[in-house]
Amino acid sequence: MKPGSEQFRSILILILVNVGIILVLSFLSPTFLTYENLLSVLKRMSELGMLAIAETIVFISGGFDLSIGTIMAISGLIAGQMYILGLPFFLCILLALLGGMAAGLMNALFIVKLRLQPFIVTLATMSILRSIVYGVLRGKTLSHFPESYLASGDLTILGLPFLFIVLVIFALLATLFLQRTYVGRQIYAVGGNERSAYLSGISVNRIKYTVYILSGFICACAGLLFSIRIRAVIPDAGLNSPLEVVTAVVIGGTAITGGKGTIAGSLLGVLALFLLTNGFSLLNLNPFWQLVVLGLLLIYVVGREGISKALVGKRLKKKTHQSAAIK
Amino acid sequence: MNMPLEQKIQEKRSPLRNFRELPIFLFIVGMLIVFSIVIPGFLSARNFVNISRQIAVVGILSMGMTLAILTAGIDLSVGSILSFAISIGGMGIPDGRTIWVVYPLVLGLGLILGLVNGFLITRVAVPAIIITLGTMNIYRGITMIVTQGRYITPIPSQFLYIGRGLTPFLFLLGTVILFIYITLFTRFGRNIYAIGGSEQSAVYSGVPVQKYKIAVYAISGVLSAFAGLIFVGRSGFIQPQAGIGYEMNAIAAVVIGGTSIAGGAGSILGSFLGSVLMGLILAGLTMLSVDPYWQGLVTGILIILAISMDSFRQLRSDRRTL
Amino acid sequence: MIRIDHVSKSFPGVVALDDISFQIDSETVHGLVGENGAGKSTLIKIISGIYTDYEGDIFIDDQRLQINSVHEAQKKGIATIFQELTVVRELTVAENIFLGREPVGFAGALDRAEMERKSQQVLNELNVSFSPRDKVGDLSVANQQIVEISKALVLNTQILIMDEPTSSLTEKEVQNLFSVIHTLKSKGITILYVSHKLEEIFKICDAITVLRDGKHIQTSLKSATTPPDVIRMMVGRSLNMLFPPRTAQKGDLLLSVKDLTRVGEFKDISFEVHAGEIVGFAGLIGSGRTELAKALFGATCPDNGEIKICNQKMKLFCHPREAISQGLVYLSEDRKQEGLILLLSVRENITLPIVKKISKNLFVKRKEEQNIVDSLIEKLKIKVYSRDQVVETLSGGNQQKVVISKLLLTNAKVFIFDEPTRGIDVGAKYEIYKIMNDLTADGKGIVFISSELPEILGISDRIYCMREGSIVKEYTREEANPENVMSVLTGGSSI
Repeated sequence: MKPGSEQFRSILILILVNVGIILVLSFLSPTFLTYENLLSVLKRMSELGMLAIAETIVFISGGFDLSIGTIMAISGLIAGQMYILGLPFFLCILLALLGGMAAGLMNALFIVKLRLQPFIVTLATMSILRSIVYGVLRGKTLSHFPESYLASGDLTILGLPFLFIVLVIFALLATLFLQRTYVGRQIYAVGGNERSAYLSGISVNRIKYTVYILSGFICACAGLLFSIRIRAVIPDAGLNSPLEVVTAVVIGGTAITGGKGTIAGSLLGVLALFLLTNGFSLLNLNPFWQLVVLGLLLIYVVGREGISKALVGKRLKKKTHQSAAIK
Repeated sequence: MNMPLEQKIQEKRSPLRNFRELPIFLFIVGMLIVFSIVIPGFLSARNFVNISRQIAVVGILSMGMTLAILTAGIDLSVGSILSFAISIGGMGIPDGRTIWVVYPLVLGLGLILGLVNGFLITRVAVPAIIITLGTMNIYRGITMIVTQGRYITPIPSQFLYIGRGLTPFLFLLGTVILFIYITLFTRFGRNIYAIGGSEQSAVYSGVPVQKYKIAVYAISGVLSAFAGLIFVGRSGFIQPQAGIGYEMNAIAAVVIGGTSIAGGAGSILGSFLGSVLMGLILAGLTMLSVDPYWQGLVTGILIILAISMDSFRQLRSDRRTL
Repeated sequence: MIRIDHVSKSFPGVVALDDISFQIDSETVHGLVGENGAGKSTLIKIISGIYTDYEGDIFIDDQRLQINSVHEAQKKGIATIFQELTVVRELTVAENIFLGREPVGFAGALDRAEMERKSQQVLNELNVSFSPRDKVGDLSVANQQIVEISKALVLNTQILIMDEPTSSLTEKEVQNLFSVIHTLKSKGITILYVSHKLEEIFKICDAITVLRDGKHIQTSLKSATTPPDVIRMMVGRSLNMLFPPRTAQKGDLLLSVKDLTRVGEFKDISFEVHAGEIVGFAGLIGSGRTELAKALFGATCPDNGEIKICNQKMKLFCHPREAISQGLVYLSEDRKQEGLILLLSVRENITLPIVKKISKNLFVKRKEEQNIVDSLIEKLKIKVYSRDQVVETLSGGNQQKVVISKLLLTNAKVFIFDEPTRGIDVGAKYEIYKIMNDLTADGKGIVFISSELPEILGISDRIYCMREGSIVKEYTREEANPENVMSVLTGGSSI
């Protein structure tokens, strides 16, 4: 990312937004700027941050994934259920990750083979997988996990929660993957202009498989983090995630039309979301203010170009009218 | 190119070819037959009244959704508008406001929220999916803030008539007929297809595209509020969390009904049948004492089936690859 | 009567129309001819209301034309049938004909009976067989065109502009269209008929206007001119364009194609390209050149035929990747849609086809990538302030150089250049010719597709003329001249 580029600017804006939120909140609430409070914010944002990483990659490739939250739920479910069946725990984790990747593969198969629209396909798989989660859990929660696994949620390294560090590691890896590897490059190319990419000899289909399977994998990891954080698997895990994540990712400067976006931007979007939630609860404000603020932010961030273009366009039109009238 | 085109486009067509809703219609008939055989008591009037009441809310939402999708847009805010309209429009109920005050207020709120969507979509020139995702959050947030999350209960009986017996279904039928009429027989309705099919053609032909788009989202808003009234009548209280996730059910009904998410092709009748099919299967599974948890599985598979069918048809007729 | 009075229009860097004046008489069919880039489409876009910002005036029956949109033009009796049809496939014929001005009856309902009656009337006049109730998506392209014409008729159109109306019609459909045009004329409608195809122009038009390089060359009655005259005027460009001298020596056979066919696009195409050769493919729009190029490259899959590269038989390519790996590359005529990723940087675009090759363990070798890109920027003189500049912000010529850089990196033997100089200024054109020259001097072979005769004639060693999906004639550099090539392409030789 180069200084002066559009992406650099949008990240700068987001940093300022976050700093602004932090400043305002630390004035308004004495407890906000405490280590414990910030620790809890960072810890809580870990799994949604993971989902945002997954969705960012999908968006950059020009796709859409509504099933992220559901894949998160199902991976936790697989791990928990397998452990109850008595499998060694590392195998449970492996199966959970494989399950997430399988779900991603299913999405990709429909999208590539039948050329269906990602939005609708993932709406359907979301519905199917969620139903499986509900059907298996039947309103119950699973909380039988090895204690060492759950304890990692309380771990801090260099003062930072372990879960957040996992997120940071994933974010760094994903950024490295997108910015430095040839596959990452090809993902941007496919999202930017699928046809040009195809004519440049890129296997567009292979890229799509990669993207959705990777998304499934990251969401599965998110599911494990979530089960660690809340020490259980719950049926409604990630129910609202698609909304929150899409909002955060789009606010973070990733184009819904593909070819553009950064992991850093998305995570800053997620951070803003959690700071707002935290702040509103500290201030005893209705937590739902967060929805309003996010919604406005979303429309503003995406719309500002359109708004200014619309204004400029109108002005230009007026000018030609005038010049025509003068003639 | 002046050469004999071997696959010259067929200009003959059978009357059934244009009946896109045929597969889903047959599917419904099939389900009815299967359930009637397998489930004793399925073919009873009471059961059908029951099922019809369940279908009504999503069915009505899917009407507005159909219009939005036909213009190549989408309205994710229908569920939020529903709860906004009934929760805020219904705040006067404990003070003894009657339906003559509350109903117009609720519908008016739906109209305003829909208009806001329409204005933002046409003026800001951002895809409808983003705008309505934003307003969905905003409307839901405002609802929760204003109501403080409190239920309104009890509800006077005059508000419950609309949810009793066959009334919801009759209202749904009325809406369906009205919108079949609008989409097939009015200028506005036909032009909606033109906008979704080729916005440029519509503009070139002088179709007031912006105006019609705003109208589409306004209608969707009103219908969401209307669905909310039926929802209140059925449940007997007003909860601010009402309607969460309904947008997905409405989209599912529309897509299962054969409307193309790319716009320009589809029908109100299809969406109606789509919601009937979803309701029917849910009821059937419940009566078969299958857990309601598995409903989503069926919905998801139906969506995939419906869009795959369309895609197969297209892949066959269009051999050109990327 | 339409009077075009000193009309000029320029785009950034290009003068598309330069002080055009001529007159179109009422109730005639007026042919507008010219090569690509002559300014025909700019002119019709002005008359039809798409471009509202131009200099000069247009008078219709001595009234100055003032319009701000296609819709307003239609209201004033000017309708245009664009090459890209603007019908709505989901609606019926009658609904399309009345789109935007449907008659409304009781309770806001469409007066379908009225719509269908009037549509039927128009369709009867045009003597066509489909019904107003048919869905337009089910009709052939020719009949969709008839629907657009009917739409214009119902609008009370006085002036009908037709832009290359026969480009996707069969011979029989063309005849049918002509009889429709005769009917229109007899109804008092003035028709502006834009086409490359002189055969058609001379068959259907009463008067002919020739444009060249944005200038008006001549307007004359058909009886006062002949196809050879018109061809001369179309191509008789002043020799202000210089071509670099060809120096490359013809070498070994690089590419040989035998009986390549893709049904519906081109058939039984056979040709050869040697090392050091630029082989020109001349043809009109729709003659199948681009389709041929894409099938050769594997962007579409050919149905049958044989391709040999360096005397080795290849299986027919069905993905560009396969062609690229065998040393055959393609530069698309549409660099924005099919060449570049506009959101990405110059660097990322240039290395896209080889990004895997310059990577180690997944990671792109940055230093190597930068060196490659920098050397190409220098070699092709691409004007950028940084290799990380987003390509969207470059000029057309520099964008094209970026696309060419991509191809150069693949180590290809055979290059297919499809309209490589389209939409770029004269200076950049010359540079691109030089690049092609250098490539051939390096022992590469080039297939050069262009709709501009001067450049085809200027730098090709051999020229294949394509017409209606077949190669109809082959010329050597010495044999070819503008007149004989143009008359083969337009079918003018058969008049």
